[in-house]
Amino acid sequence: MGFTIEESVYKPETGQFITKTITGERQHPLGTDNKGRDLLAMLISGARISLQVGLFATGIAIALGTLIGVTSAYLGGKVDNALMRFTDIMMTFPFFLLLVLIVFIFGPNLVFIVLVIGLTGWTGTARLVRSEALSLRTREFIMASKALGASSGRIILAHLIPNVISLIIVIATLSIPGVILAEAALSFIGLGDPTVASWGMILRAGQQSLDTTWWVAVAPGVMLFLTVLAFNFLGDGLRDAFDPRSSV
Amino acid sequence: MKDAILRVRNLKTYFFTRRGIIKAVDGIDFDLLESECLCLVGESGCGKTVTALSILGLIDSPPGRIVGGEIYYHDVDLLGCPRDQLRHIRGKEIAMVFQDAQSALNPVFTIGNQIVEQVKLHLEVNDREAKGRAIGLLEEVGIPSPEKAFSYYPHQLSGGMKQRAMIAMSLSCAPQLLIADEPTTAVDVTIKAQILDIFHRLKDNRQMSILFITHEFGVVSEIGDRIAVMYAGRLAEIATTSELLNNPKHPYTTGLLKCLPDITRERDRLESIPGTVPSLIDPPGGCLFHPRCDKAVAICREEQPPPLAVGDGHTVFCHLYS
Repeated sequence: MGFTIEESVYKPETGQFITKTITGERQHPLGTDNKGRDLLAMLISGARISLQVGLFATGIAIALGTLIGVTSAYLGGKVDNALMRFTDIMMTFPFFLLLVLIVFIFGPNLVFIVLVIGLTGWTGTARLVRSEALSLRTREFIMASKALGASSGRIILAHLIPNVISLIIVIATLSIPGVILAEAALSFIGLGDPTVASWGMILRAGQQSLDTTWWVAVAPGVMLFLTVLAFNFLGDGLRDAFDPRSSV
Repeated sequence: MKDAILRVRNLKTYFFTRRGIIKAVDGIDFDLLESECLCLVGESGCGKTVTALSILGLIDSPPGRIVGGEIYYHDVDLLGCPRDQLRHIRGKEIAMVFQDAQSALNPVFTIGNQIVEQVKLHLEVNDREAKGRAIGLLEEVGIPSPEKAFSYYPHQLSGGMKQRAMIAMSLSCAPQLLIADEPTTAVDVTIKAQILDIFHRLKDNRQMSILFITHEFGVVSEIGDRIAVMYAGRLAEIATTSELLNNPKHPYTTGLLKCLPDITRERDRLESIPGTVPSLIDPPGGCLFHPRCDKAVAICREEQPPPLAVGDGHTVFCHLYS
């Protein structure tokens, strides 16, 4: 995913050592940080980490949230009650505490951070998808497909989920930048995985020397901003593409 | 005498709500014979649709529940059979056409796609066969250029076309019994005539049995072999179409028929039945129709009328004939 750069040009762990920080020249277009590492290379390398975190954590959260929301709405009754109370508990559960705990037990590993963000971030999606599916459930085409022999699983997968897909896309596009920012925030407060240079990590490094090398903090910030914007545009485009009415 | 394809005995479907028990269907009996069209007629809220949904086991539970009675499709007990078996009967043996095709079709798939999925749900066919079948069905229900219509989304079709597509979908697995819940209510008169024509052809060419739910006597006289008149969750009268229209016995049926505009009659105002349908939570005792009946006598208030045979295949539930 993303760009790859030659290991020989840049090693995020060690980097090339340059005695003083520079703001820009042909070899380092965006300059280097106070350790002499090339900022552009760090950003490109960080993009891979940040986007991976965003996509995987959102993927887990959206898949879980959609499944739980639609199942809850479709089955109703006791199942609905049980699932929604479980969602409430998950919503009130302090996600940061869990993360600190995980980092404490397993060490600051990116995989665990992604899993925790994904496994705790589905609650909002579940609520939104449920409310949308509740109104879909009473639509006649659900009754019609039941009357024509479709099973519950089939109705959920073939009728309910395709009808909430535009909502899911909107949630996902809003959630991906959110997750990227969450990982950045975690890195920023020192709970991130120190072995990978995500944008949050670069931001944290830059913040410590804001007075001398301001561009180190600004560059990942601008990248985060552009990514959030890009995902929003992507979301708009996909939503239009999925809506059969807009193609007429 | 033809065999009965569907037998409904003493069906009782109640809805348990906070305000009380609504006896939406309270003990009705009827047989549907092979390649026969039985029309279920009655006012809004008299239990026609609930009867249809009960047959397919589609009553939402809670709040609804079938509390008594039997429904047999051939020899299969529809109320007692396992859910899996019921699911295979739905769509393959018994199919249903809904009133509002606009909302009965999934808006995010093309109609061809929906028919193909329906075919593949019950029959072992590959994609090409399923597509061919779908186009054949669209042609059978009179959709012009079915190959093109195959890739249309529901919102690209007119109301009449959607209703046809809905019928094509329900026919996809060649069911023996079709339940049509007011399929002509949401369309205009010319489309109505064409839809009725489709049902005629289904009966003649496919020998299908049809349970046709409607509140229009015009439609009934057009398509029905027999008519069952329902009132407040019970049957009022059941007879062959010509017998019922020419020789109605139940005061409710005569009242309904009087409500029809007649071009040969010189009258200023249409007649109507005084009063409204009783509350099904707290129904009147005895015959449910007695508060609105101008012929009601003492016994009507106390006893529920038993079925009385008043002619060949003509049964009426009214004390006046006992």
